[in-house]
Amino acid sequence: MSKRLFLAGGVLLALACYFGLGVTFADEYLHADLSLGLPVVARTLIAFLGGLAAMILFFAAEDFEDLTQPRTLIVAGIIFMLIGSYFGLFVAPPEQYMGETQRIMYVHVPTAWFALMALTLAFVSALVFLFRGSFRWDARLEGSIEVGIVLAFLLCCQGSIWAKPTWGVWWDWDPRLTTTAVLLFAFIGVLALRRFVEDPLKRAIWSSVATIIAYVDVPIVYFSVKWWNSLHQQQSAPSTVSKPFWIPLRANAFGILLLMTGFIMLRSRIAALRVENERPPLMEEAV
Amino acid sequence: MNGGVVTGGWNFVVAAYSITVAVLAIYGVTLITRLREERLRASRDANAK
Repeated sequence: MSKRLFLAGGVLLALACYFGLGVTFADEYLHADLSLGLPVVARTLIAFLGGLAAMILFFAAEDFEDLTQPRTLIVAGIIFMLIGSYFGLFVAPPEQYMGETQRIMYVHVPTAWFALMALTLAFVSALVFLFRGSFRWDARLEGSIEVGIVLAFLLCCQGSIWAKPTWGVWWDWDPRLTTTAVLLFAFIGVLALRRFVEDPLKRAIWSSVATIIAYVDVPIVYFSVKWWNSLHQQQSAPSTVSKPFWIPLRANAFGILLLMTGFIMLRSRIAALRVENERPPLMEEAV
Repeated sequence: MNGGVVTGGWNFVVAAYSITVAVLAIYGVTLITRLREERLRASRDANAK
C-alpha cells in the first residue's frame, strides 16, 4: 500500500513536471507545442495541484521504518535544483531593470513558497494531533516546524542579499519583512517550548496549540504586500513573468518541494524515535 | 544602480546561491547524523531491556 501510494505520488509529480516544465522547455528551446491545447492558466493550475497532490501522497505513503522514500525525494530534489540553478545562472537572460540580481529570485521565491507550505503542514499536523491523538502527527509537527524554520531563515538571508543592491539596505522594517521575522521567531518559540516540556503528551498538546496560534501569521505574511503599502513587490503570476524565467523558477520550485518533503520525513523519524524512547508503557496503549 | 537599472550584482547572486546550498547541505547532514544517533540509542535501549 505504502509503495503504491508513493508511486502514485511519483506519477502525479511527473504530470505536474510535464505541464509545469516540459511544455515550457519544448516551447522555448525546441519550438514544439506539447501543451495538448491547454491554456497557460490550466497548465499552471495542473502543475500546482499535481505537485501539491504528489506531496500529500508522499506523506500518506510515509513508512517510518523505511528510509528509501525520503532518500529518493532528496536525490530527486537535488537533481531538480541543479537543473533550475543551471538555467537560472547560465541560460536565463538578465532582467531589464534588476539585471543579474534578478537571478536570486529563482531560489528566493520557491524558498518562500515552501517555507509557508512547511508551516502549513505543521498547522495541519497540529490540528490532526489534537483530534486524533496520534504521536505520528506530533512527530510530523516537529519535523514540519523545523524544516519551515530552516527555509524561513534561508528566505530572510536570500532576501537581505537581494535587498542590498536593489533597495540599498540589507533590511527594512517593511510589513512583509517584519511579519516574516515575526513568523520565524514565533516558530522558533514553538520549538523552544518543545524543549522545555518533558512530558510527551503535554508537550504535544501545548506545542499543537502554540502552532495553531503562531500560524495566524502565515496568511498575514502572504497578504501583507496587498494589505499595506509595502516596499516588497506583490506576488507574481505567469502573466507577469517572462517565459524564459519560468524554467529556472519552476525547476527550483519542484526541487525545494521534494527536498522539503524528504527533510520533513527524515526529521519526523527522529522525533518519532525520540518519543518512542520517552513514552511510558501505559501511553503506548492509549495512542 | 544606473538610471534605475541595477548594474553588476553577480557577487550578490553567487552569495545567495552559495548560502542556499550551504544551509540546505548542512541541514541535510545534521538530519542524517541525528537520525543515526537516535537509531543507535533506540537499539541500545532495546538491548538493555
